[in-house]
Amino acid sequence: MVRMISGLVARTCSLWRGIRRGDGLLAEMDEEFRLHLELRTEDLTRSGLPPEEARRQARIEFGSTERYKDEGRESRGLRHFDDVRMSWLDVKLGVRMLVKYPGLTLTGGLAFAFAIWVAAAAFEFAGQVLSPRLPLPDADRVVALESWDAAASSAEPRVLHDFAAWRAGLKSVAELGAYRLAQRNLIASDGEPRPAEVAEISASAFRVALARPRLGRALGDADERPGAPAVAVIGHDLWQARFGGDPNVVGRVVQLGRTPTTVVGVMPEGFAFPVAQSLWVPLRLSPLDYPRGEGPALRLFARLAPGASLAEAQAELTTWGRRAAADFPSTHQYLRPRVMPYAQSVALISGSELFVTRASYGFFVMLVVLICGNVALLMFARAATREGEIIIRNALGASRGRIVGQLFAEALVLLGVAAAAGLWAAGLGVRLLVHAIEANSGQRLPFWFHADLSPWTVLYAVGLTVLGAAVAGVLPALKVTRGLQARLRQAAAGAGGLRFGGIWTAVIVAQIAVTLGFPVVAFNVARDAVNTRAMVADFPATEFLSARIALDREPPPGADTSFAAFVARQQATVRELARRLRAEPAVVGVTLANRLPRMDHPPYMIEVDSGGAAPEHPGFPGGYRTSSATVDADYFHVLGAPVRAGRAFHAGDFAPDSRVVIVNESFVRLVLGGRNPIGRRLRHPSGAGGPLSGGVEPGPWHEIVGVVPDLGMSKATDPKVAGFYQPLAADVAGPLHVAVHVRGGDAAAFAPRLRAVAAAADPTLRVDAVARMDTLSDPAIQFSTFWVRLLAVVSAVAMLLSMAGIYAVMSFTVARRTREIGIRVALGASRRRVVAAVFARPLAQVGLGAVAGGVLTVLLGGGVEQATPGALVGALVYTVLMLGVCLLACIVPTRRALQVQPTEALRADG
Amino acid sequence: MNDQVGVLPGTLDLLILKATSLGKLHGYGVLLRIEQISGGALHIQQGALYPALYRLEHQGLIESEWGVSENNRKAKFYRLTAAGRQRLGQETASWNYLAKAIALALSAAPQEIR
Repeated sequence: MVRMISGLVARTCSLWRGIRRGDGLLAEMDEEFRLHLELRTEDLTRSGLPPEEARRQARIEFGSTERYKDEGRESRGLRHFDDVRMSWLDVKLGVRMLVKYPGLTLTGGLAFAFAIWVAAAAFEFAGQVLSPRLPLPDADRVVALESWDAAASSAEPRVLHDFAAWRAGLKSVAELGAYRLAQRNLIASDGEPRPAEVAEISASAFRVALARPRLGRALGDADERPGAPAVAVIGHDLWQARFGGDPNVVGRVVQLGRTPTTVVGVMPEGFAFPVAQSLWVPLRLSPLDYPRGEGPALRLFARLAPGASLAEAQAELTTWGRRAAADFPSTHQYLRPRVMPYAQSVALISGSELFVTRASYGFFVMLVVLICGNVALLMFARAATREGEIIIRNALGASRGRIVGQLFAEALVLLGVAAAAGLWAAGLGVRLLVHAIEANSGQRLPFWFHADLSPWTVLYAVGLTVLGAAVAGVLPALKVTRGLQARLRQAAAGAGGLRFGGIWTAVIVAQIAVTLGFPVVAFNVARDAVNTRAMVADFPATEFLSARIALDREPPPGADTSFAAFVARQQATVRELARRLRAEPAVVGVTLANRLPRMDHPPYMIEVDSGGAAPEHPGFPGGYRTSSATVDADYFHVLGAPVRAGRAFHAGDFAPDSRVVIVNESFVRLVLGGRNPIGRRLRHPSGAGGPLSGGVEPGPWHEIVGVVPDLGMSKATDPKVAGFYQPLAADVAGPLHVAVHVRGGDAAAFAPRLRAVAAAADPTLRVDAVARMDTLSDPAIQFSTFWVRLLAVVSAVAMLLSMAGIYAVMSFTVARRTREIGIRVALGASRRRVVAAVFARPLAQVGLGAVAGGVLTVLLGGGVEQATPGALVGALVYTVLMLGVCLLACIVPTRRALQVQPTEALRADG
Repeated sequence: MNDQVGVLPGTLDLLILKATSLGKLHGYGVLLRIEQISGGALHIQQGALYPALYRLEHQGLIESEWGVSENNRKAKFYRLTAAGRQRLGQETASWNYLAKAIALALSAAPQEIR
């Protein structure tokens, strides 16, 4: 056995040496043979032969050196490699081909570079989302723990008691810690309150992450004790942005919400544990303050204890969970504690974003397939033009394997250069993507995201390149080299040989189909964004500045800690802010609402009373989907929206038991079918949810008192949605948006003043998402806008490349028939007949492709019933355009062929 | 009858292993050594030696290194490896067994088979 293995190893090494040394091996053999002949000659001379005769004799005795060299290679197992081995010459030939066929180089190269760019960027991003690698020392031992509620199918975040028990009892994890995130206003050296995300976190976080502070100290266990002085550690970003990188920042006192807090340390650049934080304060919570199963929402992290595995930790937790379920059935019956690699616990993409991303990945795969087919077609066309050269090489003794190897090398050179360019661009692309997502969402990505390409991505691109070269080089080569002997005879007899066969016809048809079908994906996504942008609000949006206003949950000392008290306090403060803003000389008007025009207004079902209504949408029987917003009394007045019928809200409508709404014009049209709305009533049906919901019971009826124009109250896909407004009651809990009408000029210039007024009203009032109202939109809309832009660019480039490819192939197939056309013309065929004959095949291909593309379009477009007349016209124009390109591709070479003299045509090569 | 005989097919490898077991040799040296230890009785097609050497090297039974020959030329020297020594032992034993068997068979007299 050992002998067998050692023999195998020896053979493999020898083979490897042989392949690696290549021509060097032949030189060595020459050297050995020469020495042998010399020594033999000397011996023979010594035995009395004259030198000339001795040399001759030595050669005879040795035999044919060429033969033994061949046998020598064979005995090293290298024979098989001779056929397919690519030499440096092949690579040089490949480079020469790039220069010789600049059109193909440019079209194919650009196309493949583009495919690699997209594929690598998508792969990198997917890799970072799906299998993240933490940039921490010994990162695979960092874990997250959670209490999974099997009944609710979600994690139970109120785990303070379990946290305390696990921290004391678990053996398989060490340094167990918890955190929660909160928004606080930070007043730093610049004196301006700005919202900052604070991580209230166990001191063990810094030991789990094995991070040392750059300045001062990290948080310590002593900081967690109740009554310890308020301290904070700041991140590098925050240090630079808010403290100007002050080296003496340690020991400075800043105000965090209401609390004067001492900065005790600065973390190094890149440290953002637990997710993307830059400000850490100690977590001070005692389980004694809360009953079991209640308390604040926490997330837990730890390091696996030395020697313990993830499975052991899970086993210990499972045991603990069973005992807890028996001991505390009321809270723990359905809880299943579990442990997982840390990054898995932070869901990065969810809901609609995940869907958008998944759809895009499908799109990218389609793109790569499309482009590989395109390049393969081009390569085949080029290989076919070189048929004569290939036949002659074969006749001169090059084996089929050798020729395939050469064509593979040529494809590899072309695609390799393209892939290098594509990878470079992908590096750039990922960086832009990360920045765009962070800018659009206003949040930093988790700290384990990075803007560099991983080695895996590079490897993936290399794999794609080799695969691409195999498809684009080997397949055409196999096709071209099939039956070479027979074609040699044909070529000698003067007949043109090669045709695009069945497979290639299929590739062309598929190419056309995908090119046709492919912008539909982009179109579907684009429709949303275009519609959103097309929403025209009937007010001068550039003169308005808006901002989201919220209050810290942390109550002032001695105040009521209940939620209701917080809501009341928040609204009082926001109203105080509005009052102060109205007093500003530059301000024309100020109003409040929970959503402003152009933001995403989620739709809910409503039903109306029995006074007659429009037909219901077949997809949503039993009512109408309508959006809604909660607005202040002067909302329509400040936005300059005239009341079209009925009245605006007045003070009495803001009483707690008032049941009135104002609807927009789309509501009158879409829900009431144009009937008079005043005095009609609407409510949420049972179980519908929504702002007027009664839970399981239907909500109470609300009376319509007025009609206003559409104000861009919309879900993203439809600008003209039915909607209604209700008075901003005193118990609205979420953050409010303030819209400030600024006198003349650019409303954006008022932003600093807005912040200053807010800070003066209450330093814990958080002001963010400050934007001029014409640039305003929700992160959800922004995200889809961003994807649409990306997909639009990708689609446009792909279509362009695809058209170029189709043009090249079509004109090539027609040009191949120059000779045939010449003969037909010479034999007296009419031009019309010739043109018909030439066009038949490409036309059939384009027609087939168009039909297949149509089917694809319907499949991707989600059915015909959604097709609007505009979309149909668009699709028609697009199909005609594609047909035009294909016909143009045939016309130009056909015209050329028809003008050629028959004698010249006969001389044409193929 | 000629005083030299060609080597039997398959026995060249064995002879090369034996020759190299006596010290490291270049290709021509292997040839001379075989002639020497066979008392000049065996004739080898000289060029055929090399494919055999490469085959044995490929199998890991001998190994080579570049050195300087007796006439101060660059030369490749071959040496038996441990695996080669083991193989030589086995092949020698089985050759001796076979030779004895054949000798015995060939020396059989008519009366012995009765």
